[in-house]
Amino acid sequence: MQASFVVIGGGLSGLAAAIRLARYNENVLVLERHSRVGGLNSYYYRNNRLFETGLHAITNYADKAAKHAPLNKLLRQLKISRDEIGFHQQISSEIKFPETSLLFSNEFDELQQQIKDKFPAESDNFQRLVRYIDEADPFREQEYRSTRTVLSSFLDDRLLVNMLLCPVLYYGSSWENDIDFKQFVIMFRSLYQEGLFRPAGTIKNLLDLLVGKLNHYGGTLKLGTGVRNIISQGEKIIGVTLESGEKILCKHLVSTIGLDETRLLLGRKKDNPDDRRLSFVESIFQVDRQALNTLPGDRTCIFYSKKEDFRFEQPEIPVCYDSGVISLPFNFQDLQSGKDSIEVRTTHLANYQQWFKAAEDSTKYDEMKSTHGLRACTEVEPIIGGFSDHIVFSDFFTPLTVERFTGKHGGAIYGSPRKVSDGSIGYDNLVLAGTDQGFLGIIGSMLSGVSMVNKHILSKL
Amino acid sequence: MTRNDIKDLILEIIEDIDDEAEFDNLDPDQPLRDQLDLDSMDFLDIVMELRKRHKLQIPEEDYPQLATLNSCTNYLEPLLKEA
Repeated sequence: MQASFVVIGGGLSGLAAAIRLARYNENVLVLERHSRVGGLNSYYYRNNRLFETGLHAITNYADKAAKHAPLNKLLRQLKISRDEIGFHQQISSEIKFPETSLLFSNEFDELQQQIKDKFPAESDNFQRLVRYIDEADPFREQEYRSTRTVLSSFLDDRLLVNMLLCPVLYYGSSWENDIDFKQFVIMFRSLYQEGLFRPAGTIKNLLDLLVGKLNHYGGTLKLGTGVRNIISQGEKIIGVTLESGEKILCKHLVSTIGLDETRLLLGRKKDNPDDRRLSFVESIFQVDRQALNTLPGDRTCIFYSKKEDFRFEQPEIPVCYDSGVISLPFNFQDLQSGKDSIEVRTTHLANYQQWFKAAEDSTKYDEMKSTHGLRACTEVEPIIGGFSDHIVFSDFFTPLTVERFTGKHGGAIYGSPRKVSDGSIGYDNLVLAGTDQGFLGIIGSMLSGVSMVNKHILSKL
Repeated sequence: MTRNDIKDLILEIIEDIDDEAEFDNLDPDQPLRDQLDLDSMDFLDIVMELRKRHKLQIPEEDYPQLATLNSCTNYLEPLLKEA
């Protein structure tokens, strides 16, 4: 079989890349190993209802008038109208530390005011930092810079540095205790200056919309089709061999499965096998409506640390509850559907190796899963109020669950600590897009697919 | 295609990219990007649409020649003579 363009991975970056290719070209083929698209942001059915994976909230909210905001740029590039998505903005989110907390919403002024109230001595420093971030160009090639070092050069209070870092690290750092400053700038804009929203429907509706666009432009999606290896000749990609043994020849290849994952398909070694890859556990609690009496009605996400010295690193225990994210996906503005099925979701740092070892004995693994599922509930109840009596159904994703369903080695949802911002990994006709290209979140990963295809393929045809 | 046909074609493509684009006060000798608030991604789509609709291969180094409505027309006139 032959295709002009092959995209490996039917996640958000792969689908966006494929739509761009198919809009102007024939013979575009997307290969997705699983029976469902979405990658990290997908869905499954349990207990007679649909559960989303990954999606807490989408960053990069922008009004229609902000023509050059990443969200609107992306929608124009994919020819999606805003009405097809339906936007529900967050109510407010909170960064909660032992001594103090900061609220933020889609009005950046609110965070500035909070810092003025809670850290009066830092207010001017924070303004200077914001100006510095506004002037930064995160898309210019630059060496890794520690965000902690940059923030500490503006802010004297270590607590404020930790508090500003907490949501950013949880929503997109593949480094321990820090993040590359380029990525921090992108995240600061998308999380604090732009803000959070949810689409009117579920992630399934968004994925259906993308697959519909792909089909409309004549692209083909093959589900349940894993790639065994990429066939190369020197610096040229010839095609791919599928797990079924079938060969597909292609002129251009876009890989969205990650840097090391791609290198292994090329028969090369991992870029740096000693890299520590951060993995997480996620709990989902479906609760009945009565839980609304005790759960907060005005918090969309809560990023907490129980210790002032916030650590974002691989714990030496299966799960560390010292910090985490609590997502309350029913708390978005005017979101009617959210009230029918109320969920509490929590995310915590985990140790992949310990879960991997436990899985050698399936009874032990299942036991560990249920213990930690319950533990997550009792750990966050002091923060958001009791809800354990109202749980109708619960589920728990370990790093192994993530690895099994997304193919991310080590269950590392944010991929490798090494990012390839220009998408080239040494081949003429192979482009890397998605997680390890360096854009983050749902909007970021789609923009990554779009911009890599624009830069390396469409403008060269 | 006449010069006027080419101008209409360009504006039609831009309207397809941004349905709120306003052409009433467009100066044909001033950059389209500034006047219509287009970014480089939008601009690429103009080139891609020309390629798709009229099989035109416009190399990247020629993109600057598409800057204004008049320069676009000058550049495309010989290429679309037979179209």
